[in-house]
Amino acid sequence: MAVAMAALGAAVFIFSGLIQAAETSFPIYFPDSRLIVKADVMNRTVYLPIREIVTHMGLPYTDSIALETLTIRSGNNRLVVTRNSGLISYNNQVILLPTQILREDNRWLAPVEFLTMGLSRMTGTEFRYRPGTSRIFAGNFEVPELEMNAQTLGPITRLTLRSGRSINIESKREDPTRTILTINQSPLEPARERFDHKDRLLRSVAFDDSDGDAKILLETTRDVSDIRITAANNNRVFFVDLVREGESAAATPTVPVEPPAATPAKPDVTTAERRVRVIVIDPGHGGMDTGVTTATGTEKDLTLAWARRLRPALQARLGATVLLTRDSDVALDNEARSAVANNNQANLFISLHVGYSSSKVEATSSIFIMKEGFGQTLSQAASRDQLFLPWYLGYRIQRQGSAAAAAILQEEMQKGIPGWKFPIRTAPLAVLSSATMPSLLFEIGNLNNNVNAQTLADSGFQTRLVNSMVDAIQRFSESPQKAAN
Amino acid sequence: MIIGLSVALGFFVDVIGRVQTMMKNDKETEENPFKPPTQPLYSKDDPPMSVKVFFPAALGEPLLSAEDDTIFKSANVANRARQILQRLQEGPRSGTMYPSMPKDTKAQDLFISEQGTAFVNFSSTITTNHPGGVLNELATIYSIVNSLTYNLPEIKEVKILVGGIEKETLAGHCLLLLPLEMDLSMTNVAAPENRTASLQQ
Repeated sequence: MAVAMAALGAAVFIFSGLIQAAETSFPIYFPDSRLIVKADVMNRTVYLPIREIVTHMGLPYTDSIALETLTIRSGNNRLVVTRNSGLISYNNQVILLPTQILREDNRWLAPVEFLTMGLSRMTGTEFRYRPGTSRIFAGNFEVPELEMNAQTLGPITRLTLRSGRSINIESKREDPTRTILTINQSPLEPARERFDHKDRLLRSVAFDDSDGDAKILLETTRDVSDIRITAANNNRVFFVDLVREGESAAATPTVPVEPPAATPAKPDVTTAERRVRVIVIDPGHGGMDTGVTTATGTEKDLTLAWARRLRPALQARLGATVLLTRDSDVALDNEARSAVANNNQANLFISLHVGYSSSKVEATSSIFIMKEGFGQTLSQAASRDQLFLPWYLGYRIQRQGSAAAAAILQEEMQKGIPGWKFPIRTAPLAVLSSATMPSLLFEIGNLNNNVNAQTLADSGFQTRLVNSMVDAIQRFSESPQKAAN
Repeated sequence: MIIGLSVALGFFVDVIGRVQTMMKNDKETEENPFKPPTQPLYSKDDPPMSVKVFFPAALGEPLLSAEDDTIFKSANVANRARQILQRLQEGPRSGTMYPSMPKDTKAQDLFISEQGTAFVNFSSTITTNHPGGVLNELATIYSIVNSLTYNLPEIKEVKILVGGIEKETLAGHCLLLLPLEMDLSMTNVAAPENRTASLQQ
């Protein structure tokens, strides 16, 4: 008997749990206003309070308690809803909703379809609702999309946010495991509401605009010591990097061991400290942008393979933090690539490329640095006429450091791969123009030269290539500060 | 029956006649409104002018070689520039050089500002047909920039447009957001005398 009672009790509890309404904030975005309503979610159906919405839209209504109906008017049109009925009447024409309309605690509650099938017909306002989300867009206006993706990149975890419009993001750490990223633009339409990303730093990512303001909630582990945000593509792309505790000393020089790149170094300072602690390697091209493409392969795949070989070798030999601008087949614009280096206060930035030559016979490799004086006239004009100074002059801060690094790389490459030439060239390169640390672009071989393409794919050659590069970077790292500044 | 046939034949002859007249008219029309007027870039009385047109060198070092050519010294500097661009488009005659323009690329328009910036608008094939490579892209860009600035002192810098708009790069590498000045360091050609003189003034 007692067991039966307990079972009954449990059943009642479960049942009441099912029908009990969970109240959630539900924003409805109009072209120039927003309304936050309390929606009841019952058995996965969202019920919205009709009267609040109708009042916000400025429509008169009559609430008849005796008839148990609510009549909404707009001009000569009339929409009548009845309590506990899925049928609504629009100008005496009957529309069937998938669930009933409720009247509870003096509130009229209707499923979302009441808006899309009923109210939209009367007012001409289009209501857009995607099942599974908790927001409605009312009216014909464009809502920028928001994509959220996370990937583990060695010691950091990167959350990439892409928006259809320029946005701004600020981060606030509520407690060690919870961070809120506030977005200054609302509404936004997230491609997905939330997702889990289980790695050493991140647990889950969820979009939340229940109060009408767009936010992203990050559940992290306690190992996260720092969160860095980098904007790219005119603030349409954001990289939110979670940095692990312990890595922070190397990745974030809060107390810089060397003078920060932006300020001129004291000329006489020589230090035995290694100058290269953070290296950003940029595998050229990616995604739709394949780079040089021939029957033997594509540049984007070769550069990624090259960077993936280089990373562990540099980590092992130099103990440096090595970050890749991309660790998968994705497209990135040039500004985003150098932004990774700038934002992580890298001491060296190397962009990897594979060449193409009209003369198929000649195999050429080049070490590029930024063309000296590029944009100089513009900077003079800027200071004279108070124009803004374009960011693609950032290279000038460390032009000499770049030249020093290039000279060392040239020497080591000629030693490691005899017979090949590695001339240092200067060019107005987009990927280097705004990098504020010593930065190089290394282009190797010609992919349209068959012999060359086979050599590039050869494992032994790749090892020699990577070893020579590591030798060069180690030498650069140990070279006195004075040489480069 | 005969009447019917003769009427049909008459109608047929009439239609043919009309079509022929239309075709004749089309030829006789001086300006077809659907084609931009093609004005000559030079007149026969214009004196000849020696120019150097830059192309990628077959041996790769230096990156660009110059081919000597002759154009007409048109009264309008923009027309001289257009003739040079035509030469670039046609490609080198010498076997020791390679064409610098990707397949089917055309310089569609050119405009020279008062400050001496030449804005050259290329068909979008200059990017879509570009095979890529940093050095190769550099060769394409500086064959244009050097060919114009070396021969025409009125042109101080060149801004490359693609399909009528500003592009960040042609193939992902060289920044085109700022106009580019002559760079002979990648060629085996010395700075032109007229330019050295004008720089000293």
